[in-house]
Amino acid sequence: MTEEKRINQSTLRLIKDDVTDIDIDAFVFYAQPNLALGAGFGTAISTRGGASIQKELDEIASPIATGDAVVSSAGKLKAKYIIHAVGPRFQEEDTEDKLRTTMRSALKRAEENGFERIAFPAMGVGFYGIPLDLCARVMIEAIKDHLEGETGIKEVIICVLDSREYKPFQSQFAKVEYEDGN
Amino acid sequence: MRWKRRKRSHKAEKVLERLDEKLNRQMVGSLLACVHCGMCTDACHYVLANPGDTTYAPAYKADRIRRLFKRHKDWTGRIFPWWVKAGSVFTDEDLEELRDIIFGKCTNCRRCSLNCPMGVDYATFNRMARGLLVSVGIMPEGVAVVSKDQWEIGNQMGVLKEDYLETLEWMAEELQAELEDPTVAIPIDKMDCDVVYSINPREVKYDPRTIADAAKIFHIAGENWTMPSEGWDMTNFGLFSGDDELGGAVARRLYEKVIELRGKKLVISECGHGYRSTRCEAPNWGKFDVPFEMESSVITMLRYIKEGRIKVDKTRNTRPVTFHDSCNNARSCGLFEEPRELLNIVCTDVREMYPNRAENYCCTGGGGAMSMSEYTPLRLKSAKIKADQLKDTGAEIVVTSCHNCVDGLTDLIRHYKLGMEVTQLVNLVANALVIEKAGVAAEQEDEVEVKGGEG
Repeated sequence: MTEEKRINQSTLRLIKDDVTDIDIDAFVFYAQPNLALGAGFGTAISTRGGASIQKELDEIASPIATGDAVVSSAGKLKAKYIIHAVGPRFQEEDTEDKLRTTMRSALKRAEENGFERIAFPAMGVGFYGIPLDLCARVMIEAIKDHLEGETGIKEVIICVLDSREYKPFQSQFAKVEYEDGN
Repeated sequence: MRWKRRKRSHKAEKVLERLDEKLNRQMVGSLLACVHCGMCTDACHYVLANPGDTTYAPAYKADRIRRLFKRHKDWTGRIFPWWVKAGSVFTDEDLEELRDIIFGKCTNCRRCSLNCPMGVDYATFNRMARGLLVSVGIMPEGVAVVSKDQWEIGNQMGVLKEDYLETLEWMAEELQAELEDPTVAIPIDKMDCDVVYSINPREVKYDPRTIADAAKIFHIAGENWTMPSEGWDMTNFGLFSGDDELGGAVARRLYEKVIELRGKKLVISECGHGYRSTRCEAPNWGKFDVPFEMESSVITMLRYIKEGRIKVDKTRNTRPVTFHDSCNNARSCGLFEEPRELLNIVCTDVREMYPNRAENYCCTGGGGAMSMSEYTPLRLKSAKIKADQLKDTGAEIVVTSCHNCVDGLTDLIRHYKLGMEVTQLVNLVANALVIEKAGVAAEQEDEVEVKGGEG
């Protein structure tokens, strides 16, 4: 299961994997405003990465506004850094706009920190209830818009968890009018 | 004077919007049919442990949800709201009050449903109401933690893949040592097996002996079996949280893994809500046409004995035992005779508890109650009914076919100082197994052949 598109000098890939367990410059974590790692991917980050990550986050002034993002190191994880992006949750008002802003903030943090290879999960789907089709469309549009501009990012990977998440992203990939990278 | 419409919070609006999507014939039937006869009252362990407090009565709790339906969906409540006690939710505080009723005062055990002459299935629409609140982020903290773990890690206890695989390896090594056979294995992702075995993450985290015991039984039975490396969790917190999306997604991961491995049958280890979700409910939540057979491990073990694939000696389990029916197994899936048949084959002293089978009382940890620590005092108070039921049996060991019940019962046994142990059928069957050494068995077979030849 993999899809690939070349957008200018960068590659956009869709894979099925655990975003917290891949070798990458940075991955995005759909964070809570208080930056507590908590459950789900947060469990994986704190268990695999160690206590230093939460300790570092505790030093950052919070709450973080919805749509914003901050960066921490990734402890003992395979990734070097984590971008903690606070997105809309649970049928919040203006979900689409807020999700788009969150994507832009995460990509901006990646540029500021010189990350060349970054990975995203399917942002806010599942527990936070962002509809899958909306998520796939907004994420791919935001990434495509960003990669079409001036960028130091060479590769963006979207890591989904299962076939349920894969299918809507696959459909959106088909709509990206750039050549396949496969 | 001009009548002013009361403003509703965003979350309250969303809850009412989603109510529309969740209503079906079964739900509406239950929302309309209550005649307030009170037959449900004595069926509920919360009521029995809190006599005189009518707010625990299933009909009262149901009315807290029913009033929304009447106000917004039923014509009587739209025209005469005061007459039919219709009402609405306006603030986040209203939703939080509802949360404490639907999560904190009911384990969705369905005992009241069974005792309702009108067929009102309160637990079904209580679950629906839970789902409405979860969709706007209003839920007990423990429900949030477990749901997020199951969504993102793939199992409800946040067990990472490497820890799961390491535990299986460890159990295989233990088994090799016990059976003095280095070839014994717990096969992972083996293709074309007759049995794909799925488990509860509690087994990995707190009770790996149940995995080793099951592996021992499969090995002795000569089963062609495997465990999946992913999608192995057969539990489903969607049943408790009312989140059909989660319910469907979790089960789909398991179903798709069995298909990928070309497994012929999915065997579900002893877990009431896991069995109900995976076998009965999740094909609907996930809109998935399951192309393979699914079976409780209780039936698998019983089948092995009946087919002569394993031999057991009941004199190895002589302490008095009683059987606790899991609500999901017994009341919702009708699985109550098979565990008793198996128990009587592997134990010498089995004592029935009363009431039992579909009428049994909840372990009081059901419906996700074990994960909602804010309601623990309430839960343990209501557990008095179960404690008395257990005590009356005079048994030393409570046997159940559900990991959630193991935790619920263990907690109440500790709280009420009953001094009983809790175990599962897999442990008793494994303990009763008669294991013949390969050489001895071969010799015996030869003997039979020789005798046959002489006759």
